[in-house]
Amino acid sequence: MVAVRADTASPDARAASPDARAAFPDARAAFPDARAVFFAAAPAYRTTANALPVEAAMPGTPAVDLSVRIGSLTLRTPVMPASGCFGPELGALIPVTELGATVTKTVFGSARGGNPVHRLTEIPAGMVNSVGIPSHGPAGYLASLHPRYAALDVPTIISVGGHRPSEYAPVVAALGENGAAFELNVSCPNLDRDGTDIGSDPAAIREVVAAVRLVTVKPIIVKLPVLVASIADCARAAEEAGADAVCVANSIPAMPLDALTRRPILGNVIGGLSGPSIKPIVLRLVWLASRAVQIPVIACGGVQTVDDALDYFSVGASAVQVGTASFARPFAAVEVARGLRQRCQDAGVGSIRELLELEVS
Amino acid sequence: MSADASLASEGAPSPGLLRQAQHGVDELDRREAYRQSREAAARARAFAEADAEALDGLVSVRPRQTVPRPQPVWDDAEVLVHEPVGERYRRLVVASSTIAHTALAGQFLMITVPPHAGDTILLPRPMAIHRRRPATADRPGTVEMIYGVVGRGTRALAAVPVGGTLQITGPLGRGFEFDSGTRSALLIGRGVGICGVMGAAEDARTTGIRTTMVLSGRSAEQLLGRADCAELGVRIIEATDDDGSSDLLTLQNSLRARFDGATPERTAPDVIMVCGAGVLARLAAELGAHWGVPVQASLEAHMACGLGYCHGCAGPVRTDPSVEGPLVCADGPVFDARIPVV
Repeated sequence: MVAVRADTASPDARAASPDARAAFPDARAAFPDARAVFFAAAPAYRTTANALPVEAAMPGTPAVDLSVRIGSLTLRTPVMPASGCFGPELGALIPVTELGATVTKTVFGSARGGNPVHRLTEIPAGMVNSVGIPSHGPAGYLASLHPRYAALDVPTIISVGGHRPSEYAPVVAALGENGAAFELNVSCPNLDRDGTDIGSDPAAIREVVAAVRLVTVKPIIVKLPVLVASIADCARAAEEAGADAVCVANSIPAMPLDALTRRPILGNVIGGLSGPSIKPIVLRLVWLASRAVQIPVIACGGVQTVDDALDYFSVGASAVQVGTASFARPFAAVEVARGLRQRCQDAGVGSIRELLELEVS
Repeated sequence: MSADASLASEGAPSPGLLRQAQHGVDELDRREAYRQSREAAARARAFAEADAEALDGLVSVRPRQTVPRPQPVWDDAEVLVHEPVGERYRRLVVASSTIAHTALAGQFLMITVPPHAGDTILLPRPMAIHRRRPATADRPGTVEMIYGVVGRGTRALAAVPVGGTLQITGPLGRGFEFDSGTRSALLIGRGVGICGVMGAAEDARTTGIRTTMVLSGRSAEQLLGRADCAELGVRIIEATDDDGSSDLLTLQNSLRARFDGATPERTAPDVIMVCGAGVLARLAAELGAHWGVPVQASLEAHMACGLGYCHGCAGPVRTDPSVEGPLVCADGPVFDARIPVV
């Protein structure tokens, strides 16, 4: 559990000046805030034989087990942030240990500066971003960012990117024993194939996963893009090449124009659309992918609430990622995790599978 | 011809004639509206280009902060005041003792906008903290913001009633900092940018720094900050588009004349702090170069998280393509501003 840092523990400018402190006689008092209340509302856990904490059940009701296996990795709860929508900065704002895992921003093999301004905007259809994934490369990630993720005390899933299929395995090799699993972000333009998405080409997916499989025994998740001819073929390619899970999907390629000037809003002109409006599109993809493969499908697209998550579980997902929703409500993913547990408890069942069976019967 | 007969003969125009006339008027209105929208688009483009040009090479990340930044929190803050200020702005005062207590001058909040009239706003809106009023024995601490209603997000925000709650995250970013030994300061704000620098005036008041603030805006009636400056003992220089006093060259000349060193009262300030468009930051940097004093400029950017992890708010700083430049939310919003050496 990450300790909540008392606000009064961090000195501020006024405290540094004795005169200023005199001006605010209450300056050392602690104040309640909604964040502190949210932390305090964490469910009580007990530890089971397999050392996984499980909700302490009310007498007469089954203990709720939300755990999910991704290859050799067991997550306590099937809720995690989407890559790029989480950072260790959130460690003091939300109880991260109530999530199944954290997912890092994508790490590339070489350093990248990211795209020019503006990098994101909001239109009625949702958020559109083209941040361009600034990265310090694996060495920079390990030196500056990884220790902060590791300190959060939940499994770290390291997102890995590349500009061509051959670039992924060296990054995973360079990351070595760090991280609990790797999520391969194959929604990147393939510079060997005229900029087509690596993840839209089953042969390229196979090539990426097979190469990464040779350099790590840790679980491999393949994060597939939205614009593919057959999500089933892409998911099967990942599974056959040795992936432990697929994540479906990513933001949807889009191009926002300024209503007044009719000029592109984004510095990169095009970007990726995300938010609740993409959920029906991704639900279809998750349904199709779940029918095609035996490995777990992690759903990612417009999840804001526990019902969004249950919708994805009902079409075959084993876990969900929360992205855009976290910007307005940093606690959104934790709220979904708590909500899943609560729904199971309210229904008197021990798992999401049982809950869904109850709902359709 | 009797008066009555005259009326009867001139009579009301036929319905057909009325329709024709109305059609002509509508068409003129439409053409005028179209012309105005194109003019607004041209102004928006020109403003964006001037802003980018003015900021080119101007700003850099400030040297390492000596005072640790307060830990941001999120809070469900009761709306205590939410009212129009002039024609263009709204004042928002919310209760959050934690944030009122910890926020530093020039820091900002992310305000999560609740759904309004079927419209859902996804991203929180960054907003400068205008005033901080720490809790007393009988009332909670408050923070005050002033904003213009300019788009979907601020329209939805404007509908939040007094007594409702707003989720706010903060205090965020790196604000204005007075070096020890600072005796006098010139603060420059334009429009809602006046609120971006007001926190520095609060600190200056606390530490006894003599402060002058330029309040710049379109018209004298719409200027923000007069009452705040009066409360904080800040001398005011008004600069408006109406009388031309806000023109960049005019303003620069009048400020140079005002601080020409002729008397102790007219000694150049020890520091300049500015919040407004890029062109205003550049004007401040030119004054800073002229007087040989440091300049701190607060910038704006599109952002999603406000904490640094989304990397959405790249600052206007050129870097090697393989190196990410500073982020406005985490490395700013307050930067050093210096005229680049060509």
